[in-house]
Amino acid sequence: MHIAEGYLPPLHAAAWAVASAPFVVHGARAVVHQVRTDPDSKLLLGAAGAFSFVLSALKIPSVTGSCSHPTGTGLGAVLFRPPVMALLGTIVLFFQAVLLAHGGLTTLGANVFSMAVVGPWVAYGTYRLVRRAGGGLGVGVFLAAALGDLATYCVTSVQLALAFPDAASGVGGAMLKFGSIFAITQIPLAVSEGLLTLLVVRLLVRVSPDELRRLGVLPTPPAPSATGESTAKEVGA
Amino acid sequence: MLPLDAAAYTNRWRPRHPGEKALLSLGLLVLTLVLPTWPGAAITGGVALVLVLGPAGLPPRALWRAVRVPLGFVVTGMLPLLVAVGGDPWLRWEPAGLPQAAQLAGRATAALLCLLLFAATTPLADLLPRLNRLGVPPAVTEVAALTYRFLFLLLESLRAVRDAQAGRLGFRTWRTSYRSLSGQGAAVFVRAFDRARRLEQGLASRGYTGSLRVQVAARELSPAFVAATCLLLAAVVAATLLLAPR
Repeated sequence: MHIAEGYLPPLHAAAWAVASAPFVVHGARAVVHQVRTDPDSKLLLGAAGAFSFVLSALKIPSVTGSCSHPTGTGLGAVLFRPPVMALLGTIVLFFQAVLLAHGGLTTLGANVFSMAVVGPWVAYGTYRLVRRAGGGLGVGVFLAAALGDLATYCVTSVQLALAFPDAASGVGGAMLKFGSIFAITQIPLAVSEGLLTLLVVRLLVRVSPDELRRLGVLPTPPAPSATGESTAKEVGA
Repeated sequence: MLPLDAAAYTNRWRPRHPGEKALLSLGLLVLTLVLPTWPGAAITGGVALVLVLGPAGLPPRALWRAVRVPLGFVVTGMLPLLVAVGGDPWLRWEPAGLPQAAQLAGRATAALLCLLLFAATTPLADLLPRLNRLGVPPAVTEVAALTYRFLFLLLESLRAVRDAQAGRLGFRTWRTSYRSLSGQGAAVFVRAFDRARRLEQGLASRGYTGSLRVQVAARELSPAFVAATCLLLAAVVAATLLLAPR
């Protein structure tokens, strides 16, 4: 859920920008370090950023008959890790603001906090917990995407409630108000996004296992170098 | 192509330095937020609208195509302010929220126009390499520039895959829709990484050392434009404070 340009009062906009800045700077440092040690990873990161942007252009059918788009935070966090997602998410949100007028520049900080910081961390945390508890890749990915999506919306509700407290019941009432309005649309959408992410990952395990191994989502097989070389030779020949 | 991106390359302000356009549009944007919404937002929004249609020469049709979806979000964003939760009945119409909702809609619409003044006149390819001067690490701007280059290819692939699936009745039922959508997601992933690998090989064969050098067209900052912008921003502040109800 993007908060549109001009929605937040200046103080709130600035405060959310300050809150997300450390995460984005941390992500940027991680990326700078990664690019220095492996210059080729720059291209992969560019591809990952474009993938995240395009992912939000998918239209998932929703119960009300209209369409909505996935946040993609869950899949991004599982594939590329939250620190990198903080930076890629910021780039993607900036592009959405200036290419689609979706979101905004003054609300970039608030949107980054909900969609590029909290969403990915909740998704990644869920994924690690499920995997450590012995859950399969499918269960982990489904819960990561669904809970990451829900966490994003909860944060957005809090952000809006703080900016527009209810006249009678204050911030708490406003939080309940925004939360319940979003919940009607968001809980089915979160399940929908979880399902879609699960299907995408299952398809990727089949068609693109090498990339998933490179990203560390799938375990590396016992003798990776031998198989890697032989496929490289076959492709080369 | 995305309508805003197409506008950014074809408008009359294209040859201007991105810094000038940023000063003008982001200055107006900040004023929209900081000044009292009435009459501040009406003035900044009006100025942005006149500038984007007049001197920048964006066709009104293109502007409308760019604003209609975000304007829809502005309208839906007003709704929560018009209802109250709690009490009896639990969810009810709240007319007292109307002034605040109108104020919010005015501010958001004006801010949207200021954002469009920037987005519809400044191509990202002009902007990204210049962000290094503002202290953004080159690695970050290069990743952003690569993202920018890849995303149009991927959007095109996505459209082709979607059309092919639609032609094969891929969206007939919920079940097939989910299968088609997961196919779209996976196809975009595979193509993104395939593109990256091919670019990697192409660069390696040309002696890639880790820095991507692109030619950035030299643009001069026009002192007249900057001075006029500062005057305009000062005039907006003065007009708002004079007209503001006391």
